[in-house]
Amino acid sequence: MFTPILQHFTTPSSRWLVALCLGLSLFAAFAHAEENAFRPEAGKFPQLEKAHAYRGELVFVDHANRRGSLRIQSAGIFRFTAPSPFAMLPYALVRYHRAPADLRDIPLGTVLHVRAFLPPDPKTSAVPVLPVNHREKTKAGALGAAPAENHVLLLEDEPSHCQREGFVWKLKEVEIKDRAGTILASREGKQDAKTKPGDETLTFDAATRVWRGRECLRIEHLISEGIWPTEGKKTFGGQSVQLGITWKPTPGGVFARFHLSDIWLDDEAMQNAAQHQTETHKAFMRSRWLPGWIDAVEYGKFGRATIKATLFGGMDASLYADFKPGTATLMNGVENTLKHTEGGTAGPTQMAARGKLLDVTQLPGNVPLGSSGIQIRFETDLITEGMRPTRIVKVRPASWPDVHLPREEYLGNGASSIDERFPTPAIFPNY
Amino acid sequence: MIPSTPHHSNTPRHHWLTALCLGLLLIPNAAIAADEPFRPEAGKFPPLEKALSYRGELIFVDHANRRGSIRLQGSGMFFRNDPHPFAMLPFGIVRYHGAPADLRDIPLGTVMHVRAFLPPDPKTSAVPVLPVDSGKQDANHNRGAGIFPAENHVLLLEDEPSHCQRAGLTWKLKEVEIKSNAGMIIATCEPKKGGDSKATEEKLTFDAATRVWRGRECLSIEELIAEGAWPADGKKPLGGQAVQLGITWKPTPDGIFTRFHISDIWLDDASMQRAAYQQTETHKAFIRSRWMAAWIDAVEYGKFGRATITATLFGGMDPSLYADFTKGSPALMNPVANTLKHTHGGYGPAHMASKGPILDVIKLPGEAPLGSSGIQIRFETDLIIEGIRPTRIVRVRPASWPAVQVPREEYLNDSLEERFPTPAIFPKY
Repeated sequence: MFTPILQHFTTPSSRWLVALCLGLSLFAAFAHAEENAFRPEAGKFPQLEKAHAYRGELVFVDHANRRGSLRIQSAGIFRFTAPSPFAMLPYALVRYHRAPADLRDIPLGTVLHVRAFLPPDPKTSAVPVLPVNHREKTKAGALGAAPAENHVLLLEDEPSHCQREGFVWKLKEVEIKDRAGTILASREGKQDAKTKPGDETLTFDAATRVWRGRECLRIEHLISEGIWPTEGKKTFGGQSVQLGITWKPTPGGVFARFHLSDIWLDDEAMQNAAQHQTETHKAFMRSRWLPGWIDAVEYGKFGRATIKATLFGGMDASLYADFKPGTATLMNGVENTLKHTEGGTAGPTQMAARGKLLDVTQLPGNVPLGSSGIQIRFETDLITEGMRPTRIVKVRPASWPDVHLPREEYLGNGASSIDERFPTPAIFPNY
Repeated sequence: MIPSTPHHSNTPRHHWLTALCLGLLLIPNAAIAADEPFRPEAGKFPPLEKALSYRGELIFVDHANRRGSIRLQGSGMFFRNDPHPFAMLPFGIVRYHGAPADLRDIPLGTVMHVRAFLPPDPKTSAVPVLPVDSGKQDANHNRGAGIFPAENHVLLLEDEPSHCQRAGLTWKLKEVEIKSNAGMIIATCEPKKGGDSKATEEKLTFDAATRVWRGRECLSIEELIAEGAWPADGKKPLGGQAVQLGITWKPTPDGIFTRFHISDIWLDDASMQRAAYQQTETHKAFIRSRWMAAWIDAVEYGKFGRATITATLFGGMDPSLYADFTKGSPALMNPVANTLKHTHGGYGPAHMASKGPILDVIKLPGEAPLGSSGIQIRFETDLIIEGIRPTRIVRVRPASWPAVQVPREEYLNDSLEERFPTPAIFPKY
């Protein structure tokens, strides 16, 4: 790269000088890029528009540490692409079937839409830290399939993504043989039919589930009802549906073609799926407590303090509704993985800071993604080290069930193992 | 060799002395052999009755390496039990919803029934190797014994409906107690035929996320209430209604040591069959793209790289997959690692596969042991390679199955770590 430039300089010493200057300026530019790269800061919800957007197949999940791997879609050959590790930010949202979810709820193979940032603190990243310009790199023909932006703010499956963006899938044509085949469809704006990002071919097979109202149908039911042909092609004229998208190995040397795990034929069917996932997540949050971060602490005497905390967003509204002024409440410091640090085997309640909610305030202005927009004021007589401004906590109204968490979801007594607090990225294979 | 040794002594007294010494030496050796714990051997399907049986909640899955972790049910506080790493034997069978499955198909949290052995070869185990008596050790902190057995190489991993199907069991609902769409069910697990009046009653929780399957329908608890099948509030006897249950675990209030949770209730055979059908079709597509696993029984070497290979197909698949192995049809065969990963890199499994016709498809006599299909194929190729030797694991497909390439984590490149995945990824609690 430097050779043509250096040819303009005639003496060896001048060439060395120029090469040195170029090297230094490149180093400076790289250092500048590293310094200027946007990273989420503790105590501030990062703006969604600053996130890097990508899409990929969920390949691995370590739900206890809120991390996993995705095979990221690029212009290259999808199956060549090695899984890229990701970690969820403490306030990150997972959405599945148009409802709040935990990583454990998402089946492996599901294609997810991602909005992610550089690691807020590379030193404590639970996944490998890559050079900031890594999304400009090509590996195995895939440009951008391993971005440095691997700390996720939003992870959503196809129906959730379509709901947030106002998209609907329109079926154009099916081609079928032996209950398997391809569907031609396009993802379009619900309101603005002119927005047509183009037709996409997706595969389906006899395992694809078709949901209609309460019913879970097979492809052969659609055939026996005369809706789809037994064999050959049929046009659909743009039937509106929602699609569950996964990936399976594709014959015919196709670089990237996705697969339909589910088709929701009507709103009732989609609402049923959302209802099921919402109830799953509500029970999950009531047992694990609602995460938030500390905005401010006013210290009193003898361990008393008044704490202001913002509850994280994306949960079902009924969970926030349980936070009312005057209700008895418990609060615990947690790690960035949202693991409880207090109580160990005795359970999170044992050492929790207890007190009353003094206020529940709706914050003014637009609520950034990650935040609920709800701030609580909580008074306790047990202020502990983990409850300082910007630190992450979990909080529950005393009316939520008092349960013990499974071993992998809390730190050992006295937060004994540093590996439990800061999970090592070394578990991810180097391909 | 040993009986000839006394002949080196030249007096009768010396003969006796030597025989005595040899006898004393042999006794401990024989005792050691008798005490030697059972381990599966390469090329032999281990008898199911020699497996250790346990049950636990699926916590972690590394499907690409066919391993994961389970929280074992013991006598103590379930929630305190560390996730216990396990690896699937190459011929290990996974069943979900009464159908063949891969580890990736099982939702985390599902309670599984396990039949497992000691590691066949501790040196290459993909999960931590424990002292053989680990299963008898008390785990302290009120966890009880038996929650981290050394038998962590799994022959059979099955969810509740699959276990009930194999054992001829059914759940009978006795009573429901409900409030705000959640509550408790009292049920017994009994033989499908004849029942068991002495079956122990078990309490299981359910909540508004529990799915109820009836024929083609997927109902919510509130729909059961709306139909009058269940009360909105309070108790109702259910009269021993026969159902199948999907069982998971969730943290339990009130200091209960172990209580499981119902994720799904199948009210009739049609709904259970629908679930089995969906899983069967998922697995059929999976095996057609990854190829059928087998091991080599024998190789008859010919000239210039030719050989005739006898291989036994592994068991537990849908019969339609075995039916595709027909005499005279062209096939492809590849050696694979014990994790069933293809060994032939990025060009895809078909690229370097040994190709040739299937000469015979033989149904082996007697009942097939678990792990085996009981089906042997004879296959001729002009590309016999190192990985295709007796006892080694291979994958094989009829040429009619789709020629697809598997994703990056499911094949090996040149790394030793990829062949023998390190057990170090499992956290120590």
